[in-house]
Amino acid sequence: MGHGHHIEIKQEQYTFSPKTKRFTIILMVLGLVLAGIGIANLNNDSHSTATEHKTEANANVHDSHGKDASAHGDHAAAASHDEPAEHGNVPNEQFGPRAEYHSLNKPATTRIFANLLVAGYFFLMISLAALFWYAIQYVANAGWSAAIKRVPEAVMTFIPVPLIVILVVLFLDKNNIYHWAHYEHLHLKPEDAGYDKILDGKSGFLNSTLLFAFPAILVTIWYLLSRKLRSLSIQEDSASKGDVSFFKKSIRYSATFAVIFGFTISIIVWLLIMSVDSHWYSTIFGIYNFITHWVSAITIMAIIILYLKKEGYFGIVTAEHMHDLGKFMFAFTVFWAYVWLSQYLLIWYAQIPEEMYYYQIRWEEYHYNFIINFALCFCVPFLGLLMRSAKRNPVVMTVIGIILILGHYHDVWFMVFPGVFGPGMQIGLLEIGTFLFFSGVFLFWVFTALTKRGLIAVNHPYLEESVYHDTGV
Amino acid sequence: MIHDSIIRDRLVTGDKTAADVTRDIARPILNKPSTSWKIGFSLSIVFLGIFVASLFYTLWTGIGVWNINKSVMWGWDITNFVFWVGIGHAGTLISAVLLLFRQKWRMSINRSAEAMTIFAVVCAAMFPVFHMGRVWVGYWALPLPNGFGSLWVNFNSPLLWDVFAISTYFSVSLLFWYIGLIPDIATIRDKVKGKTEKAIYGFFSMGWTGSTRTWARYELVSLILAGLSTPLVLSVHTIVSTDFATSVIPGWHTTIFPPYFVAGAIFSGFGMVATLLVVARKVMNYENYITIGHLDAMTKIIMVTGSIVGIAYLTEFFIAWYSGVEYEQYAFTNRAFGPYWWAYWSMMSCNLIAPQVFWFRWARTTPWFIFIMSIVVNVGMWFERFVIIVTSLHRDYLPSSWVMYAGSLTEIGLFLGTFGIFFTCFFLFAKFLPVINMAEVKSILRNRE
Repeated sequence: MGHGHHIEIKQEQYTFSPKTKRFTIILMVLGLVLAGIGIANLNNDSHSTATEHKTEANANVHDSHGKDASAHGDHAAAASHDEPAEHGNVPNEQFGPRAEYHSLNKPATTRIFANLLVAGYFFLMISLAALFWYAIQYVANAGWSAAIKRVPEAVMTFIPVPLIVILVVLFLDKNNIYHWAHYEHLHLKPEDAGYDKILDGKSGFLNSTLLFAFPAILVTIWYLLSRKLRSLSIQEDSASKGDVSFFKKSIRYSATFAVIFGFTISIIVWLLIMSVDSHWYSTIFGIYNFITHWVSAITIMAIIILYLKKEGYFGIVTAEHMHDLGKFMFAFTVFWAYVWLSQYLLIWYAQIPEEMYYYQIRWEEYHYNFIINFALCFCVPFLGLLMRSAKRNPVVMTVIGIILILGHYHDVWFMVFPGVFGPGMQIGLLEIGTFLFFSGVFLFWVFTALTKRGLIAVNHPYLEESVYHDTGV
Repeated sequence: MIHDSIIRDRLVTGDKTAADVTRDIARPILNKPSTSWKIGFSLSIVFLGIFVASLFYTLWTGIGVWNINKSVMWGWDITNFVFWVGIGHAGTLISAVLLLFRQKWRMSINRSAEAMTIFAVVCAAMFPVFHMGRVWVGYWALPLPNGFGSLWVNFNSPLLWDVFAISTYFSVSLLFWYIGLIPDIATIRDKVKGKTEKAIYGFFSMGWTGSTRTWARYELVSLILAGLSTPLVLSVHTIVSTDFATSVIPGWHTTIFPPYFVAGAIFSGFGMVATLLVVARKVMNYENYITIGHLDAMTKIIMVTGSIVGIAYLTEFFIAWYSGVEYEQYAFTNRAFGPYWWAYWSMMSCNLIAPQVFWFRWARTTPWFIFIMSIVVNVGMWFERFVIIVTSLHRDYLPSSWVMYAGSLTEIGLFLGTFGIFFTCFFLFAKFLPVINMAEVKSILRNRE
């Protein structure tokens, strides 16, 4: 299609309709209400959560420390327990990496902060992934996507919001979220009881200074580059027809961003998420986190475009573009599963205790989450988007897309919560509320950003290619 | 109507018509071999001779002629295996992944890259097959219903996964390459004069008529095969990486291995494609088909994949420290500052640092420089495998079994010899089959309407 007849390219101006505005506000209010109910429930049973949800495996440990375990002091107590184990073949739970799961007596507020960390991190990473996607279009000289480039441009403006949320959360509650931060604050010497050689060895990287410095500095650098790219793009709109100087500059800035981002993104992932399981390590973890948010970002952009089309905008965006976005969603769903399997298979196969406990607790104590995670992130989108017709159907794309996003949000939750709280946590109203509230804020922000400029990059040198884009099949 | 942006470079330069394409690309096949071809082919035969001699000596005397020992039980042999398998990646990447991404510049390089893939996999296969020692029972590696008593393959072993992964990859690559060749073989069939040649090319063209229906089916098959091949680009080197990563040997067991090996394979594969094509475009006068724009695109891929591999090196090193596991920490310190430091730093400088020159436009568009860089890339990738295999093995948990290892003359001979296999095959291919996909290139000529 598209061949043989002329398509007129007109600038379109998006207005944030009251209906859409109402929807985003409903999301926010509903989120706040649900989160509020969740918090109220939290207060009701806060003192009993720790004992109610403990499992048999570590019940004995808790009982033995029940007397002296205060919210902050129990790590030292747990590790100082140095009399020989009398369990016979039962693994000694007081020794080794699993010991860190015993300190479950976290204040109820930690659950709120952990939720904010998950939401902040998820929306930070998808905004960054949208920016990376945008940069890749320039670096790879991609023509097909020129028509939709204003959408990632709007998504990437969101970067500072979740960054601030994360920094505030870290400031208020890092000692309860990160085992190592709690440990750092104890200032133990090698001769002290409860001294942890491994955590001490990591303190050159896992320390409070870097925990704030790396996200603050790196994200600011990336954000400034995104501002530059966004400004080049708007300047191009008012430039004379055929002026490719802004386009060429964009390529240069995109390449700069892509390289800086590629070499540094893992640092953020290690600091914010991997260090939740403070003893654990996995070299693929940065890639895994990137792919999780990369596929989510593409999906969110696809859903926003579909919505705008439904509202009557984006006349030049056809089923061909949606088909290609659907292919991206499909391909990176498969790639996510590949990276997931690479990590899981190798850790499972080698069975090294230091690595294995990450999956052990997630499999043994969070059986359903483990299965749901893989089902929502891989099985549903894989089967749902396999057919050509599915990728060209707005309803199927939206439904599968929302499931995919929920799956990956759960994936982040699943990386954080078992690490922070040990066994026994579940998705509740607080989690759902936080997600809905952040989705509302995110959509409100992105739709507002879309109103700030024309929806079509009218002077983009590849716009014509994009308008006549044809997937060929 | 073509809507390609005016700022895009032409993929085929020199205002070629469809007839020019056929004439230019069929020329080496229809004419007598050139002097440069004869020299190159003879040199390849010499290296092939080195291979045959080294192999004969190995088989006659036994694997003991290699310097491998109780600690370093994998040496040059597996290094070479991984090296060649890696090179065999670019072909399928170019033909399958770039097809799915609609990268039309692949059309003038995919044929030779696919051929290279097949020859590289053949070279790779030599090493695991002959390191078995008793090669005549090599078929025991297959899960055949057997009368050998309780003998049965170990499905838990990544080495067996290798057997499946590589044989699948080889079959699909060969099929893909051959199907892509059919229309061109038909063109050659219609051009050659001799009766025997006509019969042979006629046989392999499978009665190609060029009707619309044949073309429609042909394009459908290409697309399906591309879809099937794309996972294979990932699977083969993923499985190769699990040969190491499923173990508990420090320096081998790391979760980043699968994607990092795949990136490294694409990196080395493009290195080899660049080596071959920079020479081929000059010697065979294909500068209008394999343009500076093609070299530019390939060097960019080399730079990107080199950087990805570099990120993996840095990640591994960092996490080894971060893990707090002293064995991991030692393995990496030993790599960088132990007795094999030279191999480690060769790898680092060739794979991570050197490709960064491609940030400069001059470096991406100067053929002789690209040629040198492509060799650097492949030297670096050989060292990468050597570093992974030898430095992790030569000092294990027991200091009493610490040893040094260097390849024997036979091992070196076998490695050099595989270049003989590779280039002999490639020169034969360049003589008897069209190096560039004529049918596809005709579809991207600007002046076809």
